[in-house]
Amino acid sequence: MFIRRLPKFEHHAPASVAGALGLLKKYGNKARVFAGGTDLLLAMKKRALTPEHLINVKNIKALKGISYNDKKGLKIGALVTCAELEESPLIKEKAPALWDAVCVMASPQVRTLATIGGNLCSAVPSADTAPPLIAMGAQAVLSGPKGERTVLVEKLFKGPAESKVARNEILTHIQIPKQPERSCAAYLKLMRRAAMDLALVGVAAYVCLDKDNRTCKEVRIALGAVAPTPIRAPMAEQTLAGNEITEALAEQAGKVAGTVCSPITDLRASLGYRCDMVEVLTKRAVIEACSRVKNSTKR
Amino acid sequence: MAEYSVVGKPVERTDGRIKATGAAKYAADLIAPGMLYGKLLRSPLAHAKILNIDTRKAKALKGVKAIVTGKDFPGIPYGTRPDTRDQLPMPVTKVHHFGEGVVAVAAVDEDRAEEALDLIKVDYEELPVILTAEDAMAPGAPLVNELSKSNIAYFSDFLFGDIEKGFKEADYIREETFSSQRVTVGFIEPHACLAEVDPTGRVLLQGSKQSPYITWRHMCRALDIPVSKMRIVNPFVGGGFSGKHDPFDIDFATVKLAQMTGRPVKTVLNYDEVLAAYRQRNAMNAKLKMGLKKNGQITALRTECVLEGGPIAGIGPFNIYYFGAFQNVPYKIPAIEYHGKLTYSNRAPCGTVRGQEIVLAQYCLDSMLSIVAEDLGVDQVDIRYMNAVTSNWHAANGLIIDVSGLPECIEKCGKRIGWKESRTSRPKGRGIGYSCASHPSGVRLGGHFGSSVMLKLLEDGNVVVTHGGTEIGQGSNTIFCQMTAEVLGIPFESVIQGVSDSDTTIFDSGMFGDRCTYWNGNATIAAAKDLKRQLAEIAGAELKVNPEELEFKNSMIFHKERADVKMDFLTAVRRAYYEKGSPLYGRGYWAATDIDIVDWKTGRGNLAHGLDFIATGVMVDVDRETGRVTLIKGISADDAGQPIHPVMLDGQVNGGSAHMTGHALLEDCLYDEKGRVLNHTWRDYKQPTALDTPEYIVEHVHTHDPYGPFGAKGAGEASSCSSLAAIANGIYDAVGVRIKDLPITPEKILAALKKKEGK
Repeated sequence: MFIRRLPKFEHHAPASVAGALGLLKKYGNKARVFAGGTDLLLAMKKRALTPEHLINVKNIKALKGISYNDKKGLKIGALVTCAELEESPLIKEKAPALWDAVCVMASPQVRTLATIGGNLCSAVPSADTAPPLIAMGAQAVLSGPKGERTVLVEKLFKGPAESKVARNEILTHIQIPKQPERSCAAYLKLMRRAAMDLALVGVAAYVCLDKDNRTCKEVRIALGAVAPTPIRAPMAEQTLAGNEITEALAEQAGKVAGTVCSPITDLRASLGYRCDMVEVLTKRAVIEACSRVKNSTKR
Repeated sequence: MAEYSVVGKPVERTDGRIKATGAAKYAADLIAPGMLYGKLLRSPLAHAKILNIDTRKAKALKGVKAIVTGKDFPGIPYGTRPDTRDQLPMPVTKVHHFGEGVVAVAAVDEDRAEEALDLIKVDYEELPVILTAEDAMAPGAPLVNELSKSNIAYFSDFLFGDIEKGFKEADYIREETFSSQRVTVGFIEPHACLAEVDPTGRVLLQGSKQSPYITWRHMCRALDIPVSKMRIVNPFVGGGFSGKHDPFDIDFATVKLAQMTGRPVKTVLNYDEVLAAYRQRNAMNAKLKMGLKKNGQITALRTECVLEGGPIAGIGPFNIYYFGAFQNVPYKIPAIEYHGKLTYSNRAPCGTVRGQEIVLAQYCLDSMLSIVAEDLGVDQVDIRYMNAVTSNWHAANGLIIDVSGLPECIEKCGKRIGWKESRTSRPKGRGIGYSCASHPSGVRLGGHFGSSVMLKLLEDGNVVVTHGGTEIGQGSNTIFCQMTAEVLGIPFESVIQGVSDSDTTIFDSGMFGDRCTYWNGNATIAAAKDLKRQLAEIAGAELKVNPEELEFKNSMIFHKERADVKMDFLTAVRRAYYEKGSPLYGRGYWAATDIDIVDWKTGRGNLAHGLDFIATGVMVDVDRETGRVTLIKGISADDAGQPIHPVMLDGQVNGGSAHMTGHALLEDCLYDEKGRVLNHTWRDYKQPTALDTPEYIVEHVHTHDPYGPFGAKGAGEASSCSSLAAIANGIYDAVGVRIKDLPITPEKILAALKKKEGK
C-alpha cells in the first residue's frame, strides 16, 4: 500500500563477470542483479520484489565504457549510465536516437544512477532505450554458464517486466551495428509532463535512403509503451519500404502502426489515445529520421 | 513616494544561505537523546467499522515501546470552528478514508516499528463509500462523519444587491457549469514531528507546521491539556501552501507515544502517505449565471457551488464562504446571489491550497467572462478593463476597496503580452488567455485573529525579532527584519530573526490568506516604534530636546531640524543597558479593527483591507495532433502596494502561477470506486516540473495601501487565483475548444477538437 524501508538482504559485490555468474548460480532465484538500482530498490521498498541476495555488478570493469569500432559499430557496456550516454559525443553522433531517449528519461539525478543494462533487463513496456536500440538493429550480449550468446534487443523481451535474460545470465553489453550511409534514426516520446515522466507512447524510426536521398531503402519502426513489450511495427515499415517518403506516406505508415499496437487503458492514458498517438508519433519520427539523413548528407 | 533605506530593497534572505547549502534543520533532521521512532498503520479501506484491533503480537516484539489507537485519547472532538468540531485525533469506531492512521507504534528503530505494524491485526466491516458530492447528498446516503448528523458539512447562502433588477437590466444572460478536480497541496517536505515530554508532563512538539498556533490550540483541546502544558517550536519548514495548518494523526500519535513512553518520539512520513491521506483541495462543481449589458458591463451574477471535502469540515466553511464573498471582486458586479454547500465524503480530508477557494471562484468567473465577451463581440481585455474594480469602490457585499491598481494592471499586461497584435496575426495553434484576480490581505475570520511581534534590543545594538508568523518559504522572516531596520534606522544586518517558539513568540492566527506581510508587518512597525519611543526618551533627555522631534537614520538619532543635535544609536542603547540597567524590548500587535469580523450568515461586511490585484496573460501553444499544451509566456501585472522585497515579490507571483499550472493541466488525485487512492506517487501524480512552466515576467503596478505596512499589500496568492482561467482561456483562444472540467488534459482537448470538427 505504501513504500516501506528496504527489506533485509545480503549484498555481494563481485569484481568479475565470472564472479557474478558464480553467485547467480549459487543463489538462483533468491538473487537479483543490482546495477543502478533505480527500478530494483523501489520494487523492493514496495515489496514487489524481495530478493535475499543482491549481486552488485558495479565493480565489474568489463561492463563499463562506450567504444566505437569501424567494423563492429558501437559497443556500450551494460553498466553505462544514462548520464554517460547523454554526455557522450560518440552516442550523439553515432546513435542519435538513443541520445534522444536518454535525454528525456527520468531526472538528471536519476540518470546518473540508471544504467542501459538495467533499463533493458527491467523490461518494462515503456523502457525508453528499447525502441531506439530495436530500430537500430542493436544486439544484447549475454554471459552465462555456457559462455556468451547474442540476442537482438528486439527479441530480448518476454512480457511486462520480464526479459529473456536467464536467471543465471547477465547482460554484459549492447552492440549497435555500424549504421549504413544515408541512414539515421530518431526517437520521440510523449509524456504528460515535460520531464520526469514515463512514456505514454514512444516511437523510434530508422530509415536508410537510397542514393536519390528520397526512396526508402530500409526502415525499422519500434514502439514502446503500447504493448506488453517494446515491439516492431513491420506492417508500417512495409508501407514505407521501397517508396519515396512523403508526409502523406509517413502519415499512412502512422495509421498502420496505430492498428498493430495493443496498448492498455491505465491511469496515464486511454487505449484510444495511445493508438492515436502511435499514429502521430510514428509519422513524426519517420519524418524526423528522414530529415536527419538529408541534413547529414547536405553537410 | 517615500524614500526607504531597507524596505523595497532586494536584501539577502535571512534563510537563503542556510537553506541553499542544505544546512537548515527540518523536523525530520531533529534528533533527541533516547529518541524512539514512530510509524502509523493505515486503513486499507475508505469507509469501514473498526471491529477489533489486536496489538498483542506487536506489543510482544522486542524493541516496541508503545502502541496507540484512537481509544487512548480523551474523545474530545476538535475542529476549525466551534460549530464544526467533527474530528478526533485518531479513529475510534470507524475509518473515514483510505490511508487514515489507525494504530501508531513507537520502537527503537524504524525497521522494528514497521515490523510491529505487520503484526497488528485490525478487523474491519466495510461500509458503503461516498466518493462525490452527489453521492453525499443522495437520499438515504450513509453518513460519513459520526459526529455530524448530515453529509452536508456547511452551507452559505448570500444575497448582495438587487438580483432581480440586475438580471432584468441585462441584455444578455448566459449560464455555464464548471468543475474542478481534487489536487494535492504540493509542498516539498512531508509531514514530520518530534515530540518530547518533560518530567512535569509538559509537551514539546517540533513539527513541520505552517500555523503553529492552530495546531497548538486544537491539540491541547483534543488532548485535554491547558495550552500552558504544551510548547511548540518550529524548525525550518519545507513549504506549507495551506497543507500544514492543523494537527494530524501523526502529531497526535507522536505526542501520545512520547507521553506513554516518557521518551522523545519522532515520526516522519513518506510522501506517498502525504499524497494518499493528507490535505487536498476540494473538488468543485459550480454553476454560474451572468447577466450583462450589450457593451459587456456585468449587471448580475448567480453562483451555485458545491465543494466535496472529505470526511472533515476542516477549513471547508471558510472555503465555501470565500467562494461566495470573492465573487465581489475583481469586477464590479452590482448584484450577486450565491448558494454554496460543502459535503463530506470518503476521500482524503481537504484543507485548501494556495489562494484558497478564490482560485476556483476566479477560474469560474473569468472563464465565464471570456465566454460572454466572445458572445457579445467585446474584446477580452476591454471587458475586463470595463468591469475592473477601481479605487474607493464599495462592492455589493459591503467590501470597500481602498486602492485598486487593477485597471493599470490590465493595460500593462495586455501590452506586454502583445494582445492587440495577436488579434491580427499569430502562429497556428497559438493563443493568449487572459484573467484577473483579487485577494484580500487577510480577512478577519474571528475575534482572535491578530498578529504580534516582540523585539529585543541587545546591548551591542542589534535587534532580535520574534513574530507569530511562520517562515514557510514566503520570506516573512526577511521582511520583518527589513521593516524593523527601516523604522529604527539601522542596517538590515543588525536585525536578527529569533526562533519561532510558543514560549516567547506571541500568538498569530496563522499563515494564510495573504495576511502575513500585512498583519505581522503592521505589528512589526508597532513594535519597532515602541522601541524607538523608549530610545528617543533616553536620547531626548540627554540632548535636551523633545523626544518626538528625534529621527532615526543611518544608526544615528538626531533632531529633525538641527542635524548637529545627535547621538549614536549604539550610545543610546548603552545608556539604557549600562547606566539605567534597563534592557529594552519593543512590543507590537495588530488586528484590523476598522473592518468587520466576518458575518457567516449573510456574508456581508467590509471583510478585509489591502485587496491586492493581478492581471495575468498566458501565451500557449496547443498541438492539435497530440492535444499537448505548451505554455510559452506568462505575464503578470500585479498591484501588491509597496513592494517590500521586489525579488521575493516576483518569486511569490511566479510561484503562484507555476503552482497552478499543475492544477490547470496535469494534477488529479485519482480514486477507484472503493475510494482507494490510485496515484499516490510522484510518478503517477503529475506535478509540473520547471520545464512545464513558461517564461514568467512580472510587471508591478506600484500603489500605496493606506492600512498596509509601508503601503504594502499581500502578494502570494493573487497569481494563483488568476492562473487557471488564463490557461483555460488561452487554450480556447488557440484551438477554439473550451474544457470546463479541470484538469485540461490532452485527451480532453483532442476529444473536443474531434467533436468540433464533426469527426
